Amino acid sequence: MNEEVLSNKLSATERERIAHSSLRLWPVACVTAACAVLAGYLALVGSNAIYLGWSDALSFLPRTRLWVRFWLTVRTSALATCFSLLVGIPAGYALSRFRFPCRTLLATLIDLPVMVPAAAVGVFLFGVVKSFPVRQVTELLGVRFAHNANGIVLVQFAVTVAFCARLMKASFDAVNPRFEQVSRSLGASLPGTLLRVTFPLAKNGIVASAIVVWARAAAEWEGLMLFVGGTMAKTDVMPFSVYLDWNGGMMGWVVTFSLVCVALAVTSMAAARLIGGRSYVW
Amino acid sequence: MQSGRGPIPTLTTLAMLLSVAAFALAEEKTEMLFHAGVGQRSSLMDIEKILAKRYPDLELNFSFKGSGYFIADIERSKEGDLYMPGEEFYLLQALERGYADPYDPVKDSPAYFMTVIITPKGNPAKITKIADFARPGVKVSLGNPQACAIGIWHEKTFKKAGIFEQVQKNQVHSAKCIAEVATAVQQKVADASIIWATTAVLYLKDIDIIPIEPQYRGFVSLPVATLTTSKHPEMARKIKEFILSSEAKEIFRSHAYVIDPGPLDKDSFCAGDGKATEEDCKWLVEAVKVARDDSIPVNVKTCGHLVGEVKRQRKTTRAGD
Repeated sequence: MNEEVLSNKLSATERERIAHSSLRLWPVACVTAACAVLAGYLALVGSNAIYLGWSDALSFLPRTRLWVRFWLTVRTSALATCFSLLVGIPAGYALSRFRFPCRTLLATLIDLPVMVPAAAVGVFLFGVVKSFPVRQVTELLGVRFAHNANGIVLVQFAVTVAFCARLMKASFDAVNPRFEQVSRSLGASLPGTLLRVTFPLAKNGIVASAIVVWARAAAEWEGLMLFVGGTMAKTDVMPFSVYLDWNGGMMGWVVTFSLVCVALAVTSMAAARLIGGRSYVW
Repeated sequence: MQSGRGPIPTLTTLAMLLSVAAFALAEEKTEMLFHAGVGQRSSLMDIEKILAKRYPDLELNFSFKGSGYFIADIERSKEGDLYMPGEEFYLLQALERGYADPYDPVKDSPAYFMTVIITPKGNPAKITKIADFARPGVKVSLGNPQACAIGIWHEKTFKKAGIFEQVQKNQVHSAKCIAEVATAVQQKVADASIIWATTAVLYLKDIDIIPIEPQYRGFVSLPVATLTTSKHPEMARKIKEFILSSEAKEIFRSHAYVIDPGPLDKDSFCAGDGKATEEDCKWLVEAVKVARDDSIPVNVKTCGHLVGEVKRQRKTTRAGD
């Protein structure tokens, strides 16, 4: 039926009543949608946990095979996070505070790796490490990339660095620049202001962002598949093990690794939320 | 503090972190890189254990990937000593581009893949032969011939049987890799498919294995070659020799590869009566029974050369290692 005709037939009070009831419906609909998403996640994890079963979980969880890969994942992604922070903090600060030529272009470019598939990043890395000047510098330092743990760190760094800069920008944006201006006007140098004013104020945001960057690095797989390849217990971080064991028909390990990956992600996101507190990174 | 001093501590920290990473991988041993198809992982891991005892100074790293990723890797990284893709096609590509040393298609293959029919546990659609795939209502999983070798064999096999069109009508799932085909059958998405015996044997508890009639039984050689990028060509040659030895062939056999397929026709289908692989087929069927029944002892008498696989899968409800 035509809506106009329908609305003409309704009295003003009826129209008001319908508007009110639809207003009340919205929160209910939103909460229902949120619950549905949560239920979906719980069903995914729960069904896999049931598939694995209690006795298998007890058999797989204490095994060295799992923990070797777990610590490899934790170690490499921690190192990659350190490198990302070294670049991400100054980059994020510059994007948040300074006005310089082509700032918008740079901000757009820095966002690119967030959107570019990790697999493409893996392909580009081949080109980078084999060309001037990276090749010469790495040879001088005696560092080899590609099929080793250094390669994992490099892929994780390449995938997370832009993401890190983005989160850092958000953390610094949350700090009122007036505090810095006051500090500078009282005679403090820029590094002094950064260390004594900006960083302490942005601390929670930085720590929370670092955890999110770490979690993203720990979840990286596609770039590794192309650039590193899986060497048993040396380069097969947990997401990679899921793929390798899936190909090997080891469904017990596949589900165990997946559940541990989910546990890691949930723990780190919960930690980021608790620490992040009032920063508006999310 | 001057702002100009900023980069120095940053660079120092970066250099320190890089040296930590480099230290972790300090080279003391003969480090070699073996590019291998992900399907060969279990066999090559067993072979690595023997090589580690034989050559204590050897550190053999494996780069396991899907076969399609290798050429780009070798071309870009220029690294690697040995190469064992799941299909000869990729090795020929490497040979053509000058990355692989001369390779003999007959001698340089330790084992063969053999096609078998797989169905979900209990064989709900009662599949016993290739012709059953054309029966209306049978749900079939087929590999994409552009993405995986098993897809090419699906096409070849059903075309040879003259039922490809009917089977295509029964197709409910298209897979990009062989593990996807196996999982589709394991999860009962499909009633049947054809995969390599060496993949089928990984799912003994969840899928039934049915040997294919000799005229449709296909074989694909598993090639191995040394690479021209090798930094230790002599050691690479020794490893290749070991992989082609009878000791290593037994390892491949224990993972359901076939060592002697008997006479083959021009399309690599069995050309004889299938006697040469009869025993291989028999143990595959037996292994399924033993893996599921804890009352049957696991030994050479009950599951032949597949003892290791059955033992591994009997350890837990869901397969581990």
